[in-house]
Amino acid sequence: MAERSESIELTLPFKAEYVSIARLVASGVAARIGFDMDVIDDVKVAISEVCNKLVKADSSVASSFRIRFEIEKDRLTVAFACEDKSLGRLFKEENEELGMYIVAALMDEVEYSPGDGSLFRMSKVVEGLN
Amino acid sequence: MPSQLKILEEQGEDAVTIRLFGEVDISTAQELKERLYSVVDEKKTNLRIDCSNLDYIDSMGLGVLVGVLKRVRQGGKNIYVSNLKEGIRKLFLITSLDKLFIME
Repeated sequence: MAERSESIELTLPFKAEYVSIARLVASGVAARIGFDMDVIDDVKVAISEVCNKLVKADSSVASSFRIRFEIEKDRLTVAFACEDKSLGRLFKEENEELGMYIVAALMDEVEYSPGDGSLFRMSKVVEGLN
Repeated sequence: MPSQLKILEEQGEDAVTIRLFGEVDISTAQELKERLYSVVDEKKTNLRIDCSNLDYIDSMGLGVLVGVLKRVRQGGKNIYVSNLKEGIRKLFLITSLDKLFIME
């Protein structure tokens, strides 16, 4: 796959009916990287859960949030960002919500305060590729 | 956008079978909740949820199923979950919901 990091970005409104679009894009990107079907499903589910959290919280400041897919040689990293930085409060390690529990279980790495300006980052490592 | 979820209901001898088609997510979970609650309140019987054609369910959908299970059990009945696709079965395992529902 990509020698250099390449990225794809998707901007979504805070609306429930668009979360399925995030899943469609996630499937496409994960398939392109060469993940197995079950790993593609894991990535889809995890992205969808993070979107749910953002959409449920909504924002009085911003009308949309961004999902950036960073494709690297050995991994896919997905970063969620928004002009409304206060949404960072949604992503805490001690979160006991079912959705974020699922995210942590399905992804290889999760970062709650990434320090790159995004609200939350998570990665899946590519296994068994040449 | 049209709903990505279709719900069919079929009266059996010892249970009402609910067949789910498509996706249960943040945009369709409420629809599932209303439909299942009305079936439970009306029929007061066991539920069998056939997931043969269910492609996706998220934590909100799982939350709806848990709420419905609580209501069904209050009436002394149960929920059977059948024909889960592999990805969805994995979610039931991760969340230990496989121990809460009767898995078929």
